[in-house]
Amino acid sequence: MGFGDRGGRGGRGGRGGGRGGARGGARGGFGGGRGGGRGGFGGVQKRGGFGGAGGRGRGGARGGRGGARGGARGGAKVIVEPHRHAGVFVARGKEDLLVTKNLVPGESVYGEKRISVEGGDGTKTEYRVWNPFRSKLAAGILGGVDHIHIGPGKRVLYLGGASGTTVSHVADVVGPEGLVYAVEFSHRSGRDLINMAKKRTNVIPIIEDARHPHKYRMLVGMVDVIFADVAQPDQARIIALNAHNFLKNGGHIVISIKANCIDSTVEAAKVFASEVKKLQQEKIKPQEQLTLEPYERDHALVVGVYRPPPKKN
Amino acid sequence: MTTTHILFETASGYALFERVQSEEIGQKLDEVQARILDLGKFGKMLKLKSFMPFKNAVHALENQNDVSEGVCNESLKAFLEMNLPKSSKKAKVCLGVDEKNLAGSIKQELSIDCASDELVHELVRGLRFHSEKLLAQLKEGDLEKAQLGLGHSYSRAKVKFNVHRSDNMIIQAIALIDQLDKDINTFSMRIREWYGWHFPELVKIVNDNGQYARLAKLIKNKSQLTEEHLPAMEEIVDQDAGKAKQILDAARSSMGTDISEIDMINIQSFADRVISLTDYRKRLHGYLQSRMNQVAPNLAALIGEMVGARLISHAGSLTNLSKYPASTVQILGAEKALFRALKTRGNTPKYGLIYHSSFIGKAGQKNKGRISRFLANKCSIASRIDCFTETPTTRFGEAMRKQVEDRLAFYETGAPPSKNIDVMQSVINELRDADEDTPMADVESEKPSKSDKKEKKEKKEKKKEKKEKKEEDEDTAMDVDVSEKKDKKKKKKKSSK
Repeated sequence: MGFGDRGGRGGRGGRGGGRGGARGGARGGFGGGRGGGRGGFGGVQKRGGFGGAGGRGRGGARGGRGGARGGARGGAKVIVEPHRHAGVFVARGKEDLLVTKNLVPGESVYGEKRISVEGGDGTKTEYRVWNPFRSKLAAGILGGVDHIHIGPGKRVLYLGGASGTTVSHVADVVGPEGLVYAVEFSHRSGRDLINMAKKRTNVIPIIEDARHPHKYRMLVGMVDVIFADVAQPDQARIIALNAHNFLKNGGHIVISIKANCIDSTVEAAKVFASEVKKLQQEKIKPQEQLTLEPYERDHALVVGVYRPPPKKN
Repeated sequence: MTTTHILFETASGYALFERVQSEEIGQKLDEVQARILDLGKFGKMLKLKSFMPFKNAVHALENQNDVSEGVCNESLKAFLEMNLPKSSKKAKVCLGVDEKNLAGSIKQELSIDCASDELVHELVRGLRFHSEKLLAQLKEGDLEKAQLGLGHSYSRAKVKFNVHRSDNMIIQAIALIDQLDKDINTFSMRIREWYGWHFPELVKIVNDNGQYARLAKLIKNKSQLTEEHLPAMEEIVDQDAGKAKQILDAARSSMGTDISEIDMINIQSFADRVISLTDYRKRLHGYLQSRMNQVAPNLAALIGEMVGARLISHAGSLTNLSKYPASTVQILGAEKALFRALKTRGNTPKYGLIYHSSFIGKAGQKNKGRISRFLANKCSIASRIDCFTETPTTRFGEAMRKQVEDRLAFYETGAPPSKNIDVMQSVINELRDADEDTPMADVESEKPSKSDKKEKKEKKEKKKEKKEKKEEDEDTAMDVDVSEKKDKKKKKKKSSK
């Protein structure tokens, strides 16, 4: 994992490692142990520039497998089945993995594993493994969300696209008929996003502040779903602004809320409740809410519908 | 006034719609919304008057940039002039524009009445929903292609034109310096260990890492060290003849093991690396200093280049730093402690990165928090001046540094510090005088060396600074008040005893 590598999500690991016995016996035997290592950035911002640990970000997922072509290789043993959500698949091998059909066969976006499966007529289909520790949407799917509303042919406005790791999977899910507008403010991660979008023509990168949807109103059409992973204190407002401009009547929002980013002093459940209330005031009717445990701490995924169609009596 | 036309901006071009008939109120009622969603009915509400496609990608990008900034582009102006009927007494023309800033600038440029209310917003929503069908010239998928192309070019331009260019250089430089410090320390420890087998006494005599590496390179085999080496050694240890002699004596009576030629060569080449790294760090430090003096001269003058650069690096850019309130600057870098304190309702930290400034070390234990707050106030002001002034000067930073020193003295001895308004006024006067080349030296006599530097100050800027100054006055006035009160309290306590 060199510098140029995708930062992954800094998170957790960062705090721990630190400097276990950094100067193991200065005078005496300097050769002493170096504790820990760095394990990520762990700052306030979740996307560190070049987060030391990179790749495995959250650690744990498939860690300890000793790297090298981990389990999911060798076509014959793996069977790919469609998931309950259209466009998402499950690879059943030694252990089950969430995968999406690769739009650009032969290439990984952020160093994730690929699985190639031979169809009945000799055609090969390639799938990319979707790591729930790095993607909140994947965590939500594995957590058992009822509807993700992102499916083949849908148009998605993705707020907080970051380096485009999850965006690439969303692009896989909506397929060539769908469209993903990925908004990201940071120039650094925006660079990676643009590079990813070069290969996937159904992704439109927009480097702009999601707080000002009018700035990119020329670039975005009406969408079916808004997915937001912005982790800002005023994220309910950001989502509402974008919904007012670009979301169809009866369209859906799927947002991930990180309690600590909104208010770290009150408990997570209260934060979620207040955020949901804010959404209701903006004519977004919440439909379901689920926690992202064990993949993320104090996170919730909220699904809602915007200006729901009137009920017929 | 009723909106008669609607401007709709797309990635392919501008479109002007004429409003035929629709309700003025109750936009969010279900029936009205249903009418908007129904293409047939909506088509009756709004009719396409004209559509102007962008000529090419460059033209589209130009327009996108202007639209996002709320500026009326020349081609938009021409388009509206051509297609919008003139307003007469009978039929007033009112153009609906989705965004207020653009509405304002169109009004200014073309003196057309513009509206950007809820009605317009709902109609634009409807237009966006039906755009593919309503814009007859476009084939299916054309709009998406235009969006894709424009999205890429717009984003690329954004990334390419980065306003924080020089800030990024500072951030990278300070990060590299921190990394180098760590590495040099590690390597120096290694060379001490390694060469220590041969000449263990040297570690005790020479503490500095750089000097040690240089000496190791010079001495090589300790048994061949003679008086001839003394001048060269003196040069390395800062002309300390005693130390050089000490080394020579230690070498003669050393208990270190002998070392073979091949091992020595390897130690030497590693020492070379360490020496070149230390030199490189020195050069990098110089680079950072010069960069800081260009980008944030006042901040650098107030708190030093290193701490200033760390503050910028932590905030992300100088602009971000200048937007922070002073209380945030004060605890910048102590977020973990802050949030822990907020969670447990304990005491919040007194200082973060600015702890590394020399001022806080100078203050007495109970004044550390106060001086930290005062320094953070000044840092915040300095970063604002640096960020928004057009002609860089270090005067403000120097004056503020003096203020902090005065404040320290005030805590120690009780000598009253000068009022902030006076200090800032004198700096402004001084700058003006320097501009007119008539040095005035009634105040600020402690820095005459710089007064012959000519600094051009425009009037606009002065106004701006005055504004800032007012803000400063308020906060320091408060500051003084608080400390005075505290003083009184103390006095009371004393008297009661």
